Amino acid sequence: MPDNLLQTKFHVPRLRPFLVPRPHLIEALNQGLAGKLTLISAPAGFGKTTLVSTWIDTLQTGSDTLLSKSLSPTPTQIAWLSLDGNDHVPARFLSYVIAALQRIDPHIGVSARSMLQASPLPIPALLTALLNDITAQPDRLVLVLDDYHVVDAPQIDEALAFLLDHLPPQLHLVITTREDPNLPLARLRVRGLLTEVRAADLRFTVAETAAFLQQVMGLALTSDQIAALEARTEGWIAGLQMAALSMRGQKDVSGFIQSFTGSHRFVLDYLLEEVLHQQPAHVQTFLLKTAVLNQLTGSLCDALTGENNGQQILESLERANLFIVPLDNERRWYRYHHLFAELLRQTSFTSDETHERDLHIRASQWYEANSLELEAFHHAVAANDVARAARLIEGEGLPLYFRGEAIPVRHWLESLPETEFRARPALWVTYASVLTMTGRVRDSIEEILQAAETALQDTVDDEKTTDLIGQIAANRAMLAVLTNQVDTIVTQSQRALEYLRPDNAPMRTTTTWTLGYAYQLQGNRAAARQAYADTIAQSQKSGNIMTEIAATTCLAQIQEMDNQAYQAAETFQRTLQLMSDPPWPGACEACVGLARIYYQWNDLETAERYGRQGLALARQLENVDTPVACDVLLARVQLACGDAAEALTTLTEADQFVQQHQFGHWAGEITDIRIQVLLHQGNLAAAAQLAQAHDLPISQARIHIAQGDPNAALAHLEPLRQQAEAKDWADMRLQVLLLQALAYQAADEHEWAVQTIGEALARAAPGGLLRPFVDEGPPMATLLREGVKNGVAPLFAQQVLAAFGEADVPQLQTFQRLPDPLSERELEVLKLLTTELTGPEIARELMISLNTMRTHTKNIYSKLGVTSRRTAVRRAEELNLL
Amino acid sequence: MDTRHSPTDYFEIRLKGHLDTRWASWFEGMTIILTEEGDTVLAGPVADQAALHGLLKKVRDLGLLLISVNRVEPG
Repeated sequence: MPDNLLQTKFHVPRLRPFLVPRPHLIEALNQGLAGKLTLISAPAGFGKTTLVSTWIDTLQTGSDTLLSKSLSPTPTQIAWLSLDGNDHVPARFLSYVIAALQRIDPHIGVSARSMLQASPLPIPALLTALLNDITAQPDRLVLVLDDYHVVDAPQIDEALAFLLDHLPPQLHLVITTREDPNLPLARLRVRGLLTEVRAADLRFTVAETAAFLQQVMGLALTSDQIAALEARTEGWIAGLQMAALSMRGQKDVSGFIQSFTGSHRFVLDYLLEEVLHQQPAHVQTFLLKTAVLNQLTGSLCDALTGENNGQQILESLERANLFIVPLDNERRWYRYHHLFAELLRQTSFTSDETHERDLHIRASQWYEANSLELEAFHHAVAANDVARAARLIEGEGLPLYFRGEAIPVRHWLESLPETEFRARPALWVTYASVLTMTGRVRDSIEEILQAAETALQDTVDDEKTTDLIGQIAANRAMLAVLTNQVDTIVTQSQRALEYLRPDNAPMRTTTTWTLGYAYQLQGNRAAARQAYADTIAQSQKSGNIMTEIAATTCLAQIQEMDNQAYQAAETFQRTLQLMSDPPWPGACEACVGLARIYYQWNDLETAERYGRQGLALARQLENVDTPVACDVLLARVQLACGDAAEALTTLTEADQFVQQHQFGHWAGEITDIRIQVLLHQGNLAAAAQLAQAHDLPISQARIHIAQGDPNAALAHLEPLRQQAEAKDWADMRLQVLLLQALAYQAADEHEWAVQTIGEALARAAPGGLLRPFVDEGPPMATLLREGVKNGVAPLFAQQVLAAFGEADVPQLQTFQRLPDPLSERELEVLKLLTTELTGPEIARELMISLNTMRTHTKNIYSKLGVTSRRTAVRRAEELNLL
Repeated sequence: MDTRHSPTDYFEIRLKGHLDTRWASWFEGMTIILTEEGDTVLAGPVADQAALHGLLKKVRDLGLLLISVNRVEPG
């Protein structure tokens, strides 16, 4: 949804100038503020939303001060959220709730927001963070969830139940709905924390009916007539409103009332025709034609009617009370009242389907001309215009499926008959791309690509065909990436670049990325880094977020391998930010990357949390090896916690997955950890056997050291050192240095040992890498202590020793291991961030402007590689900065 | 009790007031029968529980008064 349309979700519906005053209901809502929840539950057309907007108006203007004696003078802030059918996805729902609250104070929910991309969504943790922020608010907050019945999702009910259980006194929840939500209503009711306004309370009494018909609608009626109408409509406001509209132009009002009250016809069926017939012909046509639209704006309506008076009619409908709801304050966007739209659609389309198609096509054309391509696509689909929908998918410069809209596109393609595909080979290629993009990779993609190739043989050999050949190759390169087939990636990427049209930027960018990935697999990190940087720059230029995410994740992996842990963590966080809404299973790679980094930083708890998140996400994808990466990391964490048996179980799971999916390239790393587990258990013989069988030089060196044969270890390590230096592989270089140092130590070559460990410390310090040392066990601690005595990197060495859990290590004071240390001022701000103070309060405390304060905060977050206040505080604690 | 029902199950949904026949397609092809007491009965095959709940939601969304829902033997 475009931004301006999106904003309409947070807009409290504007009040009509004349309304029947309902002081008893307003007072009930005021009283309800003392409790936790106000539930307004009644069928369509009972004036639920109008009641809440009126109440909000009285709260904000204080216009009913006489009536609300019970209301304490606490200032009240309103967060409004109009729900729609797409809000049943928990992450989306919660992101809107946060956005609604952030309109009151942008600091609310910053850390909760950062958790939105996690999967499974950590709902309790997320809500706790959100509620903590709300607790810090000085004012009372009222969160209104309008039309909650459309959500219809158990997970969201559970989230709200949790929210209600932990609701701070500042927050009050108001729900309007057509059916009772699955919340612990009975419990709240018993404890007097629930206020209910139901159909019986909402329906107009005879007195209200009289006030409505006479004062609001300006009708002169007898009390018998009013009573008859009240009885016929049973006080149903939508019915009364329609009746009043019908009577406005009626010459024989009493005759009308007689036949209406004497009829059995459904109130709305009876009245719609009356109301429509009261309207001038051009308004009738307007209503019937624009009923296909979910949102209305003047020029869009003109496109459907072929007239030039859309805006004028919309405003006159609003004035005439004709079931139109303004969606903003500028009188730009409107929608019909849901009930009315349904009636109109029924009336206009029962006879004429071609007419409906034509209207959808016109709507699609308008949206396309106004660069709202997704809406244009949806209307093309509604019109069943395959050619148009297929063209709109391709987008202006960037296909819809590159813009996070792959799922609606996939659903549409899957609804098409095969004849459409045969008629349009490009659809096969699109389908293959969309499947790859949404992680639904099955063997059938290759079949789809072959079907496309076969179909292309019968088409003319023009520029478009050539480009499609390029796209097929690009898809194959992408598939080869998933199975790490270097040669195929390179061949298909080069073929793609040869055939793709020069202006097919999205596909060319993707191919630059697949080539980079091939370089990464070949160990050519510098070339890979360059390719990723190119990809990121190109994809930012074209707004191609999906490819930017993929390239950014890979860049982070290269930084990680180069021991640049802080930069890598920041880059991984950036991918998570890019992916926050909606959460995408592709985030698994960034999660496991962060898990590995936190592991290296010896923050095992955070490592495990990211590892589990990554695993849950990765399992939603097919044919990717990320679950193995997660298991490997989790096994390391388990071993580090001393739970060798658990680690072995995890490794067995990883092994099974590798065998099932033929991810043989993981066998080495899994065995390496297995060997470490065996060494941990003291089973040297089994470890040695395993290392021999798998030809794993690092493990072999480690075993030789353990066996008391350091020279054999050194012999294994020397070629590795040369390789690591020649290829500039920082991670391997560090690993080799550590084992060399241990080997020298074991060979009584103390001077060499200290010098080598000094070099290792110097290489590990900029990234704050602790675990590579700790994982080598007690001999490493001994060596480090010796190093400290000899004055090698004393600060970092002590930090590493602290990670060994050695009690005798003196606590470091304010040693910063940040690549870019915090300034004095930033440290001051950081200290205040750990308090309960809000942003503005901190600014006041330091006597700086809010903007300056925000700049400091931004710098602190960036230097700490975090994205929220909560994580900043945690990092600061880890780094001993406070 | 076996709560499952086969695809050939028929339902009768009774609503207050006479509904126009043009709603038949909106209610997924149900037949609209108007009774002398002033009620409407939507009658027809309902694929499964999900479809039944979908129908009831449409009743709700039109603000119609629901009187009863019965499973009946086709005939």
